[in-house]
Amino acid sequence: MGGLKTEEFIVNMGPQHPSTHGVCRLMLTMDGEIVKKIEPVIGYLHRALEKICENRTYAQCIPISDRFEYVTAMSCNQVFSMAAERLAGIEIPERAEYIRVIMLELNRIASHLIFYGVTAMDIGALTPFLYGLREREAIIDLFEMTCGQRLTYNYIRPGGVSKDLPKEFVPQCRSTIAMIKEKLNDYEGLLNENPIWLARTKGVGYLDPKLAIAYGVSGPVLRASGVDYDIRRDDPYSIYDRFDWKVCTRPNGDTYDRYLIRLDEIKQSIKIIEQALDGLPEGNIKAKVSPNFKPPAGENYARVENSRGELGTYMQSTGEKKPLRVKMRGGSFCQLQALPHFGTECFIADLVAIFASLDIILPEVDR
Amino acid sequence: MNGIIAFGELHGVFAWLYDLLASTGLSQPWLDVVRYTVLGAMMFVVLALIALFLVWWERKIAGHIQQRFGPMRNGWHGWYQTIADAVKLLQKEDILVDARDKMVFFWAPVLCFVVAFLAYIAIPFGEGLIVADLNIGILYIIAITTFTSISLLMAGWGSNNKYALLGGMRSAAQAVSYEVPLVASILVIILFVGSLSMVDIVNAQSGFMYNWFIFRVPFGPIAFVTYIIAATAEANRTPFDIPEAEQELVAGYNVEYSGMKFAMFFLAEFVNGFTVSAIAVTLFLGGWHGPLDGSFLPSWVWFFLKTFAVVFLLMMFRWTYPRLRVDQLMEFAWKFLVPVTFANLILGAIIKYAGWYW
Amino acid sequence: MGIYKDIKNLILGMRITGKHLGRHAITIQYPEEKWTMPERSRGVVVLLSDKETGDLNCTGCLLCMKACPSAAIRIDAPRDPETKKRTLLSFSVDNTHCCFCGLCEEACNFCAIKMAGNYEMSVEDKDTLVWDMNKLQEMGRDVPYVDTRKKKVPKPKPTAESKTPAEPKPSAEPEQKIQPKSENKNDNENKDTKDEE
Repeated sequence: MGGLKTEEFIVNMGPQHPSTHGVCRLMLTMDGEIVKKIEPVIGYLHRALEKICENRTYAQCIPISDRFEYVTAMSCNQVFSMAAERLAGIEIPERAEYIRVIMLELNRIASHLIFYGVTAMDIGALTPFLYGLREREAIIDLFEMTCGQRLTYNYIRPGGVSKDLPKEFVPQCRSTIAMIKEKLNDYEGLLNENPIWLARTKGVGYLDPKLAIAYGVSGPVLRASGVDYDIRRDDPYSIYDRFDWKVCTRPNGDTYDRYLIRLDEIKQSIKIIEQALDGLPEGNIKAKVSPNFKPPAGENYARVENSRGELGTYMQSTGEKKPLRVKMRGGSFCQLQALPHFGTECFIADLVAIFASLDIILPEVDR
Repeated sequence: MNGIIAFGELHGVFAWLYDLLASTGLSQPWLDVVRYTVLGAMMFVVLALIALFLVWWERKIAGHIQQRFGPMRNGWHGWYQTIADAVKLLQKEDILVDARDKMVFFWAPVLCFVVAFLAYIAIPFGEGLIVADLNIGILYIIAITTFTSISLLMAGWGSNNKYALLGGMRSAAQAVSYEVPLVASILVIILFVGSLSMVDIVNAQSGFMYNWFIFRVPFGPIAFVTYIIAATAEANRTPFDIPEAEQELVAGYNVEYSGMKFAMFFLAEFVNGFTVSAIAVTLFLGGWHGPLDGSFLPSWVWFFLKTFAVVFLLMMFRWTYPRLRVDQLMEFAWKFLVPVTFANLILGAIIKYAGWYW
Repeated sequence: MGIYKDIKNLILGMRITGKHLGRHAITIQYPEEKWTMPERSRGVVVLLSDKETGDLNCTGCLLCMKACPSAAIRIDAPRDPETKKRTLLSFSVDNTHCCFCGLCEEACNFCAIKMAGNYEMSVEDKDTLVWDMNKLQEMGRDVPYVDTRKKKVPKPKPTAESKTPAEPKPSAEPEQKIQPKSENKNDNENKDTKDEE
């Protein structure tokens, strides 16, 4: 045939793009339709949160930690409070623990609903986005009723939670999760067995479990590759060991499994919330701790299982009322780091699907 | 005539007007020129209105599927939203990239727009309501709708933009691949009609509803389904809308177009959607005939009802299904649709030869 | 066969979107219909006034200024050296800095500052978003609140008349270390009054 000269060209999936979730720049080297190399360029959303925290008291850092990963702000509040509590040796009351678990799991469901909507939208089905957000509205109505805000809650504080649940919370929470359980059937019917969806997501973007572990990937992405690791069970915090729930894993590490495992996790979260609502004790919601407490000198690393993986905070204190150093660790950073190693040799449409299935939130990457 | 249009006698009005024109004493070629110009202009106006309506309707349907209202502000339930959008697009700055290919960039939207309307010359809107009853009707329509893919390729090339080029290449590949099952589905019907003229095709389905080609098992439903799939791909609608996939290529081939040029592509897309629905109705669903022998509604009412039903089906496809990847699209066309439509063609030929039809 | 399963699932998908066509929309037409905000919702910062006299409840204790993580509150309340009382000269909230965290409301012991439910704050000139004392008081006039201050007039016995903060309420304020301390609520815990970020 004679040599047909082709050359690779660089396409910039730029910071402003409808389907990179946040401002993330991916420089793709492409050969026709196939992606050969991916270079992520990050830093567009850097707000120096860790530095800001060095000049704030521990109670004032909690609104800052909300902004670290605003889709699951309750987890950020939780991990921060856990680190501060461990530093200062504060014990929190039972009711506060139960309320924290309910809020964390509701936030996990809300985050997975966003994942569902956005992934479906990226692959072309435009309707599930609205359905996912409709259910999420019900959940953040619950949050608004309790703490006053819909996205950045400032609710879980060192010592407990800031406000008690209003009396209409429990019945409304029960009806909300009953509605979500029923709507999950809609979601599954719409996409799970759809042949176009299967063709787009099955077998696409296989993530080897060893590669995942090597890059520090955690959360649903890791468990979808078959690795059975969940911080709620393996490094227990709060009162998760009192509830009957199981860690979901899926055997193939492709996009379809990463999509299915999050629907499974919603079901498990619903189970946990039902049990927590049933066992909610009376009592105080906050330990007696002053807003400007001074923990003794030391350092601590606390981590929780976020909907994106391991969310950790390392805190160092010198006995003052402001921390010396706060380092935040998010799961999306590791997943973005692993993306160039398993996202190549695929079509650009597949890359969009893989990127969506990793559920990367840029504020966690850039802080 | 006092201008009141009686049932089914719209063509009577046109005949009367033609006689009026002939009586002015113009010579024959000029008479035809005037006649076709007037008819063409009327068809253009009707289609422009239909396109405006379809844009509004799609947004309302999309809204209600997603449990929200669609446009609500401009007029009652937003009925003149499209007009407001068109006026807005008219006054937008026409951004011209310096490095574009000037001729190609300019003529791409013009070609797309003109070709979209040209196809309607041979489509019957009702009994006697056709601009020109060409004896090669359906062949002409298929040939004209192929030009759309050329215009998309021109748009992709002329923009001098990698994203647009990718979109243009994809659209060319898709359009060419899906022509084959499209034509093969239509061929089955032509076998039974024996003529390419659209009016003859509709007349072959006259009578009761079971005469419509979609109900003539076994080749009718299969041909209809494959036609609808191929037509969705030809009209660049989801699940085959990768040339303009917003999430991947930031609007693909029309990323560099702004203002009125973009409006031309946009309207042409909706007009194309209406075209393929109109062809589906003419070929498979009985054209302007009602379900019973002799109708109680004018013929154009039936035509529009049926066409809007098919357009509604296409809209439901768009808002329900995700989009196919480009290689899956090709694989689906060549490895599945082409064998099925050819098998259907052979089946139809056998049935026709053996006379096993009514 | 695979093809039948595929077609069945495609039709099932259309059925799910189709059944939404008949349902009423869940959105509201915003400027004409507005959502009623829950009572705890954190909107703009307002200053509350006494229900009978109409004076500001604020005593100038500067607790909210210290609690704010964004340095949005600026108060000028110098302390008179003889009487040891603070007079409130100016109180301004910079809404462009406020992060709506609600820490100021929690820090206040005098029911003086509150996050009202107002969220419609778009303006054409950004400078108008810095609200001074009068504007804050005006915005806070219609905001309902539960008066939990200890009355200055000493009552013979604390009955249901004086509502102490120890009463459990759905919107109970969090435990403040200030309560068991001395009567002099004007004092603040921190010696450094000037650390601001």
